[in-house]
Amino acid sequence: MSRSYLFIPGNTPSMLQNLDVFESDAIIIDFEDSVVDYEKDAARILVQNFLSQYEFKNIEIFIRINDALSKNFLKDVQAVDHIDITGYVLPKASPKSIKALYAITRKPIIPIIEDPMAVLHMEEIAQLPNIRGLLLGAEDLTKELHISRTLQGTEILYSRSRMVLVCHAYRIEAIDTPFTAKDQEAQLHEDALLAKNLGFTAKALIHPNHVDTINTVFSPSQAEINQALRIIKKSEEVQKGAFSLDGKMVDLPIIEKAKKTIAIAKKYHLL
Amino acid sequence: MSENIRPKALHNLEDLYKEFDIHAYKNISFHHHLRNGDFVLNMVLEQYLKNNVQHLNLFPTSIFPSYDGILSLLQQKQIDNITTNYLNGPVAEFITKNGLPGKLIMQTHGGRARAVIEGRNQIDIAYIAAPTVDQQGNAIGYKGPSMCGALGYCIADSQHAKITVLVTDNLIEQTIINPEIHGSDVDYIIVVDRIGDKQGIVSGTTQITTNPIGVKIAKNTSQLLFELGLIKDGFSFQSGAGGVSLRVTKDVKDIMLRDHIKASFFSGGITKYHVEMLEEGLVKTLYDVQCFDLKAVQSISRNANHIPISASRYANPVDSSRVIQDLDIVILGATEIDYQFNVNVTTDSHQTIIGGSGGHSDTASEAKVSVIVSPLIKGRIPIIKDRVTTITTLGKHIDCFVTERGIAINPKRQDLLKKLENSKLNIVPIETLAQLAYTYTGVPKDTKQISNIIGEIEDRTYEVIDYLYQK
Repeated sequence: MSRSYLFIPGNTPSMLQNLDVFESDAIIIDFEDSVVDYEKDAARILVQNFLSQYEFKNIEIFIRINDALSKNFLKDVQAVDHIDITGYVLPKASPKSIKALYAITRKPIIPIIEDPMAVLHMEEIAQLPNIRGLLLGAEDLTKELHISRTLQGTEILYSRSRMVLVCHAYRIEAIDTPFTAKDQEAQLHEDALLAKNLGFTAKALIHPNHVDTINTVFSPSQAEINQALRIIKKSEEVQKGAFSLDGKMVDLPIIEKAKKTIAIAKKYHLL
Repeated sequence: MSENIRPKALHNLEDLYKEFDIHAYKNISFHHHLRNGDFVLNMVLEQYLKNNVQHLNLFPTSIFPSYDGILSLLQQKQIDNITTNYLNGPVAEFITKNGLPGKLIMQTHGGRARAVIEGRNQIDIAYIAAPTVDQQGNAIGYKGPSMCGALGYCIADSQHAKITVLVTDNLIEQTIINPEIHGSDVDYIIVVDRIGDKQGIVSGTTQITTNPIGVKIAKNTSQLLFELGLIKDGFSFQSGAGGVSLRVTKDVKDIMLRDHIKASFFSGGITKYHVEMLEEGLVKTLYDVQCFDLKAVQSISRNANHIPISASRYANPVDSSRVIQDLDIVILGATEIDYQFNVNVTTDSHQTIIGGSGGHSDTASEAKVSVIVSPLIKGRIPIIKDRVTTITTLGKHIDCFVTERGIAINPKRQDLLKKLENSKLNIVPIETLAQLAYTYTGVPKDTKQISNIIGEIEDRTYEVIDYLYQK
């Protein structure tokens, strides 16, 4: 599980070279929208050579391939499938296109839910094999719906809520749509907090300067860590399934949640 | 030549050379506060070109790309020697390629002020672009149609040149209180239509970087300063006007706001970001030797705690009141750094002159902690070398080197290393950072040519610490 999924263009050496500098838990190297058609080949060659030469510890690397109907779809997968990447991000996902990808790779898949039909098929998609999580693509989705994006995000509230329910029901990651205003730090924080409170486990992002905010929001806070430590300590002391702490009842699910919080905190070196 | 009489006001340079023989004085100085917007240097040197004055020795505080007059004189072989603190653009390229009949001496801001005061740099005529001048010859830089802010770099020249000439486009009737240049030091005032182009004087290029690598370097730097316990009440700080340095300033500001910390002073070149912190009460005093933008210029005239200072007061190593002797932290850039922590900001890796010390060596020498900030790789070239192409600042004065991938601490600062023993920052030997860079770039071949010396790097101690070679 990752907190942040940073898109970087597959045809930009300076970004690739620094992909481990940005501190994003996961990197999505893009072969799709950020690479113009006449540079697709160059991007594939560059990424293939780069990832064959360098190893990246503690970072998950996904490739956003072109969609299943594109002439680049197969070439994209063939270029990198033999390399030790974490998986694929599939745009314009549908049950059919995911099956097409599954037919040629066994690596994990993150479908992008970015059209109305995909929203309706979310549950079916979530149950397909090798699905690591779902990623909401709000820009394309709102384009399809002929509506404008707003900072408040009310126009995508239904899609967000539905995605969170589906992902949690099928125990896969729920990855929120990127925040596209590069320099609006306060709004980015607000948007990420909203996503976290809705139940998203992570957020995609399109600018490296957003990583800090996303990682902070999707990490347990110091107060949450401290409380989790207290709960675990008390549970070890009392040796009971349920007990009272600060006047509130603590039972097994709360103890399990505290343990999960501490595990995440350890993973991200917050302890 | 100066006596305590009112300076003579003239209306053109031709009249000035009726007062004395233009050929009689070969050592002439200029300041660079009007930067690429300066009309005065070219205006004056046109007279030297027209009058075919030979064997000139120039002492400009810096040389900018717009200083065409120097290039013309070089092409006509009328200049023997140049002593300056910084140069880039066509003049720098010409000298790199052709050298000089004499030599190029690169000094520091503090070292130059010292050399002028002590007579090592003997200035015959100081030509000073002065944005506002009164009838007594008192001058300031922070008012007038061509205002540029502090006039710090030419104060010593005004006091020690044989002849001091102010060139202004704003001669006023009322007496200037607290002038930067005192009328008693001034011999002539030349009134011209314009001394500069506002756009070039305050270029507005001082912006906080949003480049992700720069942002990461700044984040590492501010965290380093925090973990070293340097950001505390009463601390003093200097950062340049580069995008990364300004980002460090912003991040330091965030820490100050979070922890309710107030600084004592900021020094050096001042930007709107420093001014904002002064106005928000986060820092008590700005000691300003050079303004980098219009907000900084305007601040001097309205805020008594924004104090213009001379280069000597700023960084002259033998000036007992120098500001930087109390400096806690300085953030500096680098073109190259080597395993001994020597830093180059004078030449690029192909030996072309692209800059100079300015206050680099001065502040690194005196600040309690000097920090170099730079990407590990610039334009496909690793910044760390076995030995820098040109030493601008000696490694013994450099304490920390911060990159996007890790931080190297000069081994001589065991005290700093001890404080960072439990740090989560990636603290590694500089050799480790170099090897990391080489995995991406390979090890560049050394192409340095050392057959013809064309200049010297003179530290503020007057010691020659390196040479410049013809390319």
